[in-house]
Amino acid sequence: MLMPGSTQSAPTILSVRGLSKSYSGTIHALRGIDIEVKEGEFLVILGPSGAGKSTLMRCINRLVEPTDGKILHNDVEMTGKRRNLRAVRRQFGMVFQQFNLVKRLSVLTNVLTGRLAYRSTWRSLFYNFSKEDKRIAIECLARVNMDHKAFQRADTLSGGEQQRVAIARALAQQPTIILADEPVASLDPKIARQVLTYLKQVTQELGITVLCNLHQVEYTREFAERIIGMSRGKVVFEGTAADLTDEILHRIYYRDPDEQDDKDHS
Amino acid sequence: MSTNVQAQTQSIFDELAARQTWRFKHIVYIALIGAFLAWCADGVNLRPREVFNAVPIIADYFGRMWPPKWGFVEAIWKPSIETIYVALWGNVIATIVGLPLGILAASTVTQSRILRGGAMGILNVFRSISELIWAILFVAAVGLGPFPGALALGMNYGGILGRLYAEAIENVDKGPIEAMEATGASKLQVIMFAILPQAMPQFVTYNLYWFEVGVRSATVLGMVGAGGIGFELITSIRLFEWREVGVILLFILGMVTIIDMTSTYIRGRLY
Amino acid sequence: MGSVTFEDAVNAAMRLEAQARTRRYIKLSAWAALAVAALWYSAHQIKFSLAAVIHGVPFMWDFITRLFPPDLGYLTVLGGATVETVQIAIWGTLLAIIFSIPLAFLGARNTSPHIVVFHLTRLLLNSLRAINELVFALIFVSAVGLGPFAGVLAVALHATGMLAKFCAEEIEGVDKGQVEAQMATGASRMQVILFGVAPQIVPQFIGYAIYRLDVSIRSATVLGLVGAGGLGFSLIQTMKLFKYHQTATCILVIFLLVLISDWICGKLRRRVI
Repeated sequence: MLMPGSTQSAPTILSVRGLSKSYSGTIHALRGIDIEVKEGEFLVILGPSGAGKSTLMRCINRLVEPTDGKILHNDVEMTGKRRNLRAVRRQFGMVFQQFNLVKRLSVLTNVLTGRLAYRSTWRSLFYNFSKEDKRIAIECLARVNMDHKAFQRADTLSGGEQQRVAIARALAQQPTIILADEPVASLDPKIARQVLTYLKQVTQELGITVLCNLHQVEYTREFAERIIGMSRGKVVFEGTAADLTDEILHRIYYRDPDEQDDKDHS
Repeated sequence: MSTNVQAQTQSIFDELAARQTWRFKHIVYIALIGAFLAWCADGVNLRPREVFNAVPIIADYFGRMWPPKWGFVEAIWKPSIETIYVALWGNVIATIVGLPLGILAASTVTQSRILRGGAMGILNVFRSISELIWAILFVAAVGLGPFPGALALGMNYGGILGRLYAEAIENVDKGPIEAMEATGASKLQVIMFAILPQAMPQFVTYNLYWFEVGVRSATVLGMVGAGGIGFELITSIRLFEWREVGVILLFILGMVTIIDMTSTYIRGRLY
Repeated sequence: MGSVTFEDAVNAAMRLEAQARTRRYIKLSAWAALAVAALWYSAHQIKFSLAAVIHGVPFMWDFITRLFPPDLGYLTVLGGATVETVQIAIWGTLLAIIFSIPLAFLGARNTSPHIVVFHLTRLLLNSLRAINELVFALIFVSAVGLGPFAGVLAVALHATGMLAKFCAEEIEGVDKGQVEAQMATGASRMQVILFGVAPQIVPQFIGYAIYRLDVSIRSATVLGLVGAGGLGFSLIQTMKLFKYHQTATCILVIFLLVLISDWICGKLRRRVI
């Protein structure tokens, strides 16, 4: 297991450079984001809703095409080419606020969908998965302690259980990075802590880097190894939980009067 | 002061006048609609006296159906079952026709405007041509019998079902689709694992409903030679065998009721 | 967590998965076998044959080529029949609306005066629904003679069954609170229906009536096949006289009429609901 301090010296796995995204040229979701992510770290992106956190994540695995800027994964540029989209996406596991499980399918099948990008379309069409894939899926379920519910339909589970299955689905992709977009925003505090604990513990065991969007300061302080603060499409803070002073929180959560003008002319 | 009162009175008068013209407009509308309906009634020979006269005549005709000639059951047993087979295969063919076109016509699946419009266009043509006209066409192609009936139902209901399928697909929860795309799944995999499982109960509901409608339609396909009980029905009516007609109507009623009940039961267990 | 127990858990789950899969396959194949048998048998009964379709393509093609080109001069003759078709649908639907309002209240569990009345009304409505317009049209043509009048009655009866059942179900689904509030004021049964129930179902009823008008126009186009007026009569007559170019014109006009009615009724419905 990596020591908390060791992430500082770890190599960079993902770097985002000058990333911008605007919709129809007028609404600016991201305005020049620069982020370096170290291998194996648990990085929390903190900010109010509407700060552009979700858009950033969707740009990284290309669910959304950025307007400008570069994303480098292990020093390989990923933006711009659409040819290997499947191969790009499978390196990034994603966890969503609304879990996004297919409710009428079994827990195991939901986790197995994490293996789809590794298999040919035609073989998987009829829900055929190899024994190897099934073993991977069950192992991932066991890691989040959900293997005992593998054959239940996903809609029979509670919210926290569904999110653990969704984490297992992301793990089944055998990703290098997991992007968690507000993973606990729909859960009550006790369950939210439990889910975040699973996420952090499992990814550290497997050496997977995590980028986690949160809007709650207390969870951020509790789980983050490093924090990036975002406000209105810009990075406004970078540091650890200890650096997160009231003054900085104010900067993340409240609008600067100066920036108001910035929005109008940009 | 006095000018103020005058102005107020004037404004009330104005409003009153405005309201009266509004009412007058309503009367004109009602008169126009009434005239239109009267013109329509005249066109279809619907006059109060005719309707009045028709009631006892029709009652008399239904009276002639009683008591049903039960011995006739033997003759219509087979064509009745055939009617259900026609509806069943009509439904299967409709699904085969409607599903691929419906998937293509769904805006959440197909990005290409031309492809989507093309699929919707074909569905609209299939939908707009009544099953009886399709039946005439298929009887010309493959000869008399139940098979052209099944093909006719398949084409007409394929168009209807295809459009309903497309709507069901568009209304599916988008979250799992995004999640599946994020894992790197291909388009077809997204359809198989995120879209179809979610839309399936809706599909089955539509298929069941249009199977019921299909059974009712299949009872008349025999009139153009496309199988089922319609042929016996038209023959009995032409021969003025009203007690046979009574048996056939009761048979259709029983059949439709049983199918209604079965599909209500299945629908209740779907989700 | 020791690695041995983790391995054991995974292996146990793998074994369970294998068992579940076997069970699923058995269940699935049983259902599939049943479905295939049923479809196979019924296919045999209706003389299903792909060969016949392929063999029939030249015949169909021959039929279609004989339809072309449509005789556009025949359009002038069809004008009257088209108007008649729409008139049949309008009056058929209008009569159905008039009949279905009282029947709906008699056929709804919560407004029906007596359980026997409720069941009898539902039986009547189911019978009207079960029997196709064309069957009614055939009987009425015998009873009141050839012509659009028989068509209007046929459309009216079938549509009454559909409309009244839909409306009865809407009545059964109304918000009970509003009805109770009316009853609490001491309103009579009729007043409760008028002021508590009716306002809740009017938009849905109008929407469904417009949909029914669209369906009625569709059925009115084929009622003529049995002599009950409208475009279907021209369709079948020109076919019997082998004037296929005119038949093609009929099909074209029917197609356009259905498309236009679909479009207009769709627009109207969206405005009401």
